[in-house]
Amino acid sequence: MSNVGKRPLDGLRVLDFSHVLAGPFATRVLGDMGADIVKVNSAGRADGANAPLHPYYLMWNRNKRALALDLSREESRVLCRQLCETADVVIDNFSVGVLDRWGVGYDDVSGTNPGVIYVQMSGMGDGGPWSKYVTYAPTIHALAGLTHLTGVPGREDIGIGFSYNDHQAGLHGAVAILAALASRHSTGRGQRVDVSQFEVGVNFAGPALLDLFANGHAARPTGNKLPYDDVVPHNVYRCAPVDVSAIIDERWVAIACMDDAQWQALKGVMGQPEWAENADFDLVEGRVAAMDVIDAQVSQWTQTRDAYEVMTICQDAGVPAGVVQNGRDLAERDPQLALSGMLQKLDDVSPTLGQTWVDRLPIHFDQTPCNDYQRVRDLGEDNAAVLKDWLGMDAADVARAEDDGLLR
Amino acid sequence: MTETAGALADVRILDLTDERGIYGAKLMADLGADVVRPEPPQGDPLRSRGPHFEAAGAGCTSLWYAYFASNRRFFYLDLQAPQAAEQLAGLVAHADIVLTCDRGFGLELLDLKAAQEQRGELVIINTSSFGQTGPWRDYLAPDIVAGALGGAAATTGDVDTPPLKGFGELNFMVSGAYVAIAALGALFSARATGKGQRADVSVHECLVSCLEQVLMLYWYADRLMREDNVLPRRGSTHWSDAYSVMTGINGSIMITPTPDFDNQLAWLIEEGVHEDLIDPKYMEPENLRLRIDRTMEILRNWVAGKDVEALFHEAQSRHCPYGWVLPIERVADNPQLDARAWYTPYNIGEAQTKATGAPYHFSATPWALADHHGPDADTAAILADIGWSDEQ
Repeated sequence: MSNVGKRPLDGLRVLDFSHVLAGPFATRVLGDMGADIVKVNSAGRADGANAPLHPYYLMWNRNKRALALDLSREESRVLCRQLCETADVVIDNFSVGVLDRWGVGYDDVSGTNPGVIYVQMSGMGDGGPWSKYVTYAPTIHALAGLTHLTGVPGREDIGIGFSYNDHQAGLHGAVAILAALASRHSTGRGQRVDVSQFEVGVNFAGPALLDLFANGHAARPTGNKLPYDDVVPHNVYRCAPVDVSAIIDERWVAIACMDDAQWQALKGVMGQPEWAENADFDLVEGRVAAMDVIDAQVSQWTQTRDAYEVMTICQDAGVPAGVVQNGRDLAERDPQLALSGMLQKLDDVSPTLGQTWVDRLPIHFDQTPCNDYQRVRDLGEDNAAVLKDWLGMDAADVARAEDDGLLR
Repeated sequence: MTETAGALADVRILDLTDERGIYGAKLMADLGADVVRPEPPQGDPLRSRGPHFEAAGAGCTSLWYAYFASNRRFFYLDLQAPQAAEQLAGLVAHADIVLTCDRGFGLELLDLKAAQEQRGELVIINTSSFGQTGPWRDYLAPDIVAGALGGAAATTGDVDTPPLKGFGELNFMVSGAYVAIAALGALFSARATGKGQRADVSVHECLVSCLEQVLMLYWYADRLMREDNVLPRRGSTHWSDAYSVMTGINGSIMITPTPDFDNQLAWLIEEGVHEDLIDPKYMEPENLRLRIDRTMEILRNWVAGKDVEALFHEAQSRHCPYGWVLPIERVADNPQLDARAWYTPYNIGEAQTKATGAPYHFSATPWALADHHGPDADTAAILADIGWSDEQ
């Protein structure tokens, strides 16, 4: 059987009750890889970031089919149970217990569909004194130590500037689903997976927590310094123009000499300045002792230069360096993203949702390339197709269900 | 496969990754895959990464390595030795999945294209910093550089700081997660079709795909009623303006009036600190931003007089998603994690400590953390597995 022209997860059925970012990001990845993602929404829930018109929704829900179900109605819940019986994967990120109340909890579904992979991505996981706590990514960042650790010494009010943990919880959810599918391939059995977004977040502080448990050392924010390893210079330096009226116009470049040879190369790039010829700086121990001096001098060298020029001449000399790029840079200046077609404007423009864009899956499979990107679908836009494909319902039955108000 | 085996217990992986992909190998190893990691005679250079735990003994002191190279079997491989290429080929022949990174260890002795021609079901996942083509293809990008070019650093920091990297290895943990997804996705396909494949993962593209508001603002600024399609770094203030870290009596707490502003308002009214928030003008849709700004201003003054621990629990009892900013020692001693028995005993070399637990809990196939060893610990067993004899 050839797999050319197909995508890696073709044929996989995923029933997706998730909302906001973490859960939808997990299923976005699976959908990009060819899984048939049926996203369940309803008129009653389609507001805020869960409304198909909202840019947040547009970002995380391409390559999914849209089914509307009014789950306040028992007849809709019957349809929902039937869909669960035919799904390979059921995923939600409601608080624990919501799907049980709809009669599609794990015990209900696995009784008739023992192969189902049933993933619950709650904030705190199923169990524990905080299990009912409400979380968004900034909540998790704070509780997991990521806000405290990401910043500069003496401050704990900076943290990560975007919802890192939501993306990562989604990616870890996708890993868990694929691993459970691999297990099902061997055993024939599905299982339940409990993903705590809090535990995903704490996991990222793994080495720091090991250090605390083993050595009693409590990590603190270190700015752009590596917390445990001696690497100097290792910082982000201001470039031209220096006199800007708005922070958004500032330009910066990251430079990191990961070994002594790269330091020698940087000296060469800077024109062998007298201050850098100090023999004490040849070894990293000497540079660590003089870190502030070196940072100030490197900064003085970069601040009259264009950030992209600094990056280029450093990289050409074998010194790791990179411009601090913002969204405009990524979309308009980044040659790598342009070459790979990472950012795409979709030709299929929805009359209700308008023009949309996608950032493609960053995995390039050579036999099953994932180059098919379908726009976000409006509420219930695929009701008929989904119910025909998954449940064999004919058009008349679907029309009747729509008339009865079950599919909205 | 036994009843207590991990989800990937029948998957064999050869791990030739560096920092850019090692987290992906860890995720799969911790899920039960048999992951073999070759090392040079002087030991994997990543064993020098701090922090260190001297009690673990020679070769095992790196806690960075104990975390990222958990659940591996280590294999001594002298690339200068005459048998090295053949042993490496034997490891490839024994694997379902081979994980590599550009310029990674041992690649010069491997012909992975030929290996894939011989075994069509083989999956190869290669991680690079910027992909296989393009002007930046050969650029060097440790985590801080990757995060700068990939858009993460521009979001992080404050007006009085430079753009900042996330603590630790947060950028490479994104590419690592994608490595695991690529490998397991290709494995799913191979098991369905009998055909493996190669997939390339670019760290740069991985980071760009995980920037929440960055591309959204660039593409949809008008729909979000934003004047500009780029936001500067601005401390802990979320792109929506409705989440921010505030200072209380004895610490900091992430405060947000979302998702239910009325719920938050009711609480402020109850405490008599709502000021003018009941003015009907704040209910007008065009004044949403005004309402957010005013609410956050009032919350900041209100929080200043609060004990943050008590405020956190009170907020959560009212379904307000506040987050107490915890230092690492409070994360280590946490009632939620304790109740779920999350931290896990971990034997590292000659010493014992605790480590972070599973990021997911499987009902039928447990996640587990095996003892962590020094270099060369498993070479003899691995040679036996691949049928290597001394005569060779």
